[in-house]
Amino acid sequence: MAVHKTCDGVVRRDFLRVGVAGMTGMNLAGYLNMAQAGQLAEAQGKNAIFVNLTGGPSHMDTFDLKPDAPKEYRGTFNPTKTNVSGVEFSEHLPQLAKCADKFAIFRGVSHTLGAHRLGTEYVNTGNRPLASLEYPGYGAVITKELSKPADIPQFVAIPRSNQRAGFLGVRYAPLNTGRTPTIGAPFSVRGVSLGAGLTVTEVKKRKALLDDLDNTFAGAEENSQLVEGLDEFSQQAHAMITSPRSRQAFDISKESPAFAKKFGDSNFGASCLLATRLVESGVKFVTLTYGGWDTHRDNFTSLKDRQLPSFDEGLSGLFVGLEEKGLLDSTVVYVTGEFGRTPKINDRTAEGGRDHYPRCMFMLMAGGGIRGGQVIGASDDKATGPANEAIAPDDVAATFYHAMGIDHLKEYHTATGRPIMIVRDGTPIQQAFA
Amino acid sequence: MKQSYLLILTVLLFGSVSEVNSAQSLKSVDLRFEDAQTDEVPDFQRHVVPLLSRLGCNGRACHGSFQGRGGFQLSLFGYDFAVDHQALFNEDSPRVNLESPNDSLIIAKPTDEFEHEGGKRYEKESWEHNLIRQWITGGAKFEENSVSKLLRVEITPEEILFSRQGQTEQLTVIAVWEDGTREDVTPLVRYYTNDNLIADVDQDGLVTSGESKGDTHVVISYDKAVVPIPVLRPLTNLVGKRYPKIETPTRIDELVVEKLRKLGIVPSDIASDAEFLRRVSLDISGTLPTAQEAAEFIQDKSPNKRAQKVEALLNSPGYAAWWATKLSDFTGNNDQQLVNTSPSRTGPGEIWYRWIEQRVAQNMPYDELAEGIILGTSLDRGQSYEEFCQEMTDLHKQDELNVAGMKTMPYYWARREFRLPPERAISFAYAFMGIRIQCAQCHKHPFDIWSKQDFAEFSNFFTGVRFGTTPPTGEGRESYNKMIADLGLKGLRGGELRRKITNEMRKGSVVPFPVVYTVAGRKVDENGRSTGEAVVDATILGDTTISFERGQDLRVPLMEWLRADENPYFAKAFVNRVWANYFGRGIVDPPDDLSLANAPSNKALLEHLTQGFIDSGFDMKWVHREIVMSRTYQQTWVANDTNAQDKTNFSHQLPRRLPAEVTVDAIQLATASDDESLRMQQEMHRRAIAIATSSERYLQGGTPEAFPLMVFGRSTRESNCECDRSTDATLLQTVFLQNDDVVYSLMNRRNTGWLEQVAKEYDLPFNVQARNQPKPPENYEQTFKNLQQRLKKLQADPSQKAQYEAALKTRRRLISQFGLPKSLQPTTAEQSLNLEQMQEIVEQAYLRTLTRFPNETEMDRSLEFIAQADDKINGVRGLLWALVNTKEFILNH
Repeated sequence: MAVHKTCDGVVRRDFLRVGVAGMTGMNLAGYLNMAQAGQLAEAQGKNAIFVNLTGGPSHMDTFDLKPDAPKEYRGTFNPTKTNVSGVEFSEHLPQLAKCADKFAIFRGVSHTLGAHRLGTEYVNTGNRPLASLEYPGYGAVITKELSKPADIPQFVAIPRSNQRAGFLGVRYAPLNTGRTPTIGAPFSVRGVSLGAGLTVTEVKKRKALLDDLDNTFAGAEENSQLVEGLDEFSQQAHAMITSPRSRQAFDISKESPAFAKKFGDSNFGASCLLATRLVESGVKFVTLTYGGWDTHRDNFTSLKDRQLPSFDEGLSGLFVGLEEKGLLDSTVVYVTGEFGRTPKINDRTAEGGRDHYPRCMFMLMAGGGIRGGQVIGASDDKATGPANEAIAPDDVAATFYHAMGIDHLKEYHTATGRPIMIVRDGTPIQQAFA
Repeated sequence: MKQSYLLILTVLLFGSVSEVNSAQSLKSVDLRFEDAQTDEVPDFQRHVVPLLSRLGCNGRACHGSFQGRGGFQLSLFGYDFAVDHQALFNEDSPRVNLESPNDSLIIAKPTDEFEHEGGKRYEKESWEHNLIRQWITGGAKFEENSVSKLLRVEITPEEILFSRQGQTEQLTVIAVWEDGTREDVTPLVRYYTNDNLIADVDQDGLVTSGESKGDTHVVISYDKAVVPIPVLRPLTNLVGKRYPKIETPTRIDELVVEKLRKLGIVPSDIASDAEFLRRVSLDISGTLPTAQEAAEFIQDKSPNKRAQKVEALLNSPGYAAWWATKLSDFTGNNDQQLVNTSPSRTGPGEIWYRWIEQRVAQNMPYDELAEGIILGTSLDRGQSYEEFCQEMTDLHKQDELNVAGMKTMPYYWARREFRLPPERAISFAYAFMGIRIQCAQCHKHPFDIWSKQDFAEFSNFFTGVRFGTTPPTGEGRESYNKMIADLGLKGLRGGELRRKITNEMRKGSVVPFPVVYTVAGRKVDENGRSTGEAVVDATILGDTTISFERGQDLRVPLMEWLRADENPYFAKAFVNRVWANYFGRGIVDPPDDLSLANAPSNKALLEHLTQGFIDSGFDMKWVHREIVMSRTYQQTWVANDTNAQDKTNFSHQLPRRLPAEVTVDAIQLATASDDESLRMQQEMHRRAIAIATSSERYLQGGTPEAFPLMVFGRSTRESNCECDRSTDATLLQTVFLQNDDVVYSLMNRRNTGWLEQVAKEYDLPFNVQARNQPKPPENYEQTFKNLQQRLKKLQADPSQKAQYEAALKTRRRLISQFGLPKSLQPTTAEQSLNLEQMQEIVEQAYLRTLTRFPNETEMDRSLEFIAQADDKINGVRGLLWALVNTKEFILNH
């Protein structure tokens, strides 16, 4: 209160001036860190799409192949060249190989949480989970920092998300679509698409009735933020429901077949297509969840026949589609599972499977100033751990926020008054932007 | 005066402190060290560390950070004297230089003589400088075993009353130590204001009245003492003799008005019967009144009707369900935390909830209810392990778990993430003491009394209770092995064993259950790790020491401490939470933060309820009745000129959003037929307020209420915090109410819906158009007619039952897909309602949503809306939709 000087030796007024200089939402320490790193140019990321591969995808059979490893590690997939020289993926990712220049691959990302729930919470918040505190997911933070009142929801989860609002509170919770879309079919979303046989005219008539009847608390807004908030939300919700923008944003059948084609015909592809439409329409943050990666048994058949084809088409469609719409620069795409899988193949089934393995995994990131076509970090020769220095999920999270122009060291206060940084333990990886 | 000052100084210097005349206080350090020539040597604990705090050195952003700063780390906020003393003598970079005191880094750096990232903290030759230099000159001493005990601090004035902005008042703080010394510590104390718009305070204890009127506290902390001083500034000039006479029929009202009088706030009028009924039903039983109930209550002329309604509600199943939900929130009934604690996935959470619900319904005294949870053990009636497994297996065969026979509820101790003593200490303090001690796990907080040491000591109480998949020893272990062998599961482990056991249980076999049991406690160190040393005693907050007998359940004496009359937390935490349920905020708020600095807005009121609760023998219904029968509770939300801004002193009701479960139920009730709403009031089946456990994952099993419960912020029961539940308003909530399929399908449901009931009563067609209804095929009319005829034929022939049912199914499918064929739909011309009928319907719509009759304007507008509709039921649907979307519906007020 009375002491205005921080221990950094900067008087509070200077600090405020820094704030006014366009670094809104950033604290001083963050400002200095960025200044040191020469990263004061404005961040490019305005929106984000987070692809959560739940179950934990095998790193060795996708983006981190070890063709020279012993047989019991290597697996049956061969590497294939990509459009970036020196970077190879699994042969079952042919479409992604053609657009490898659009995204960065993190290899040798490493942590220690081998249970689905804890690992998932970790990679969805950028903070190692605590029993006593629930961290907000990326989407909640982005919504808090970047969203504006709009006639479209700011945080959408397809079909639902592992990113919750945590201690930030329900205000920053996602709208769950509840279902995944299908290519070519009309798609409606709870709350946003007009309900049961209703027309806009009918809804407007009802709203006029509501406005006439909702008078008991007239004048009470002055002394009640709650009443004031409800008034505001009532108008916003109505705008959202009646605006063609919102409804059309969700309706992927409105997309031209030529454009939709590149996403393949899977539900995952349709979700990727929906994500591009949503971002294009003003949604700030979209999460999409694609499960089925928990390949303890029959790892190779499951990946080859079930997981990888739709993943390859859908995700490459997302990168290429965003670029075609001119959105890849302003949209950060972040792809991760909760962990990698054991490099050594188990013998549960004749074919073999791979188990949970947090010590070594991959993540992908694109857009928002991230330089595509590069590999960041490396795993050792059998992909059993980082070759050099490990990349922590926290570092990738800090990199993500950096790309979104959000200082990851910014502090929030929990309801108990405890100060908590957005990412408590991470450092942005500068190589990603270089 | 001067003489005695010298005397004390002499005494201090020569050490025989007991001779000090206790009525006289030592002057404050800023005066004593003003002169650089002083010979006094200050004390590390009493002067140096508080000074470092005042200067900000041990703050979180500076050397108090867990990484330290510039190679120098102090304990956060300065409560670990030994560690701080050591840090100053750190070998690598000592901060004190005994040979040349002024070259010490703790002088050179903060005076900015030597580069200091934290800048200049004090001037050369200032009293601060002199004090630190004198301490170093005197040898920079601190004896770990001679930490002095502070008895109390005396603060003048005890309460500050301001009348206009910019007024000031100087606080004086005298520390009284156990050795008899009294010292003016005004410049060494931490000051903090709970609301700087009302009053601000500087680091010298000068309080300044701010731009806002109202009341708050300025908190003073020094050593172990934390004292809040009330600061008030009246909102109007209606103070003293000008204050009007207010009726205060109950003790609560007297105490509330006593405070309001000081602030010049006049309470609001009594609420109407309609307003009262809606509020009290939602608050006590989480249930919206039915339309019929509302009409009857409003028209009832009996003078006792409010008291009677309160009794009826306290005896309703809704009350038990709602409070079982609240108590499940407090104790953390979360199925994700209970994974693998039973062969039944949902069993533990259900048992937990049902166990509480049955006891709330029979109004078991709160201390006994708490005891049943705190002393939870699986084998709680002297059964053998085998008998226990038999009983549990039988229990899970019932449709509705009857847990009346279970003496205790053990799952509280089985929670997965609460098996370590420190985690249990945190969760226990939250649940049964209403305090947050998590800070103290790592450092003492300046505005709370719990130190790191207190926390570690308290954790010892929780070292004797265990959760195990198998019984620990002897006979139990043998029975377990035998059971496993008999079931043919020998040699299996982990998940596979668990799955097989669950399968066996489903088949009806008696299977082994995991158990909660107690063992002899082992002491933990400050980091919560076991030291292996037996727990012989444990101390609560540094003064109550409890010794244990060998092998005793450590929780027994803890329970005795808790339920003792003089316990500062147990009863208070509960009555405060009950109060918060009725006013949207606690007398202490947030209600789970009964720390010293977070003072109650009305201390006498909180004490009255606490004492009354204890005197009643922890009768929970006494608390509820005492509160809801007060005039204070029954005031209207409509404010007057004097109390509109008051949010903390209960001068009127504050509109608050319905809790998530109550919202979901209210939508169901408002849209339900009369029969269905009566059923929902009497039995809790499919009621959201009676959902046992918490997690989203559990709820997301496709139930329609999962999404709204998440959106409206049902408690996640995850982090030992009231904030796990949210009552904020959000955009998604409004979107849900305005346009979600869950709401539409509740309005349009058949058999139990009100709209359909109206259609039947007034002989109107009930058309429900499905979403994205496809165009019917061209020959739909004919196909449908054929089907009708076929049905008629099949129905007449009992031997064709299967075919008949198949055809019926086809008919249903066609209707839901394409609706009735045009020729079978009634025309608009056939729809008519006379004015009287329409009025009846409008009244019913209002009663079932807003618990009141419409006023004239509302009636006219509603009639107009229905009259204009071609499809009358659709008109009523629009009205129902509008009413559910009013603020009046979603707010309790």
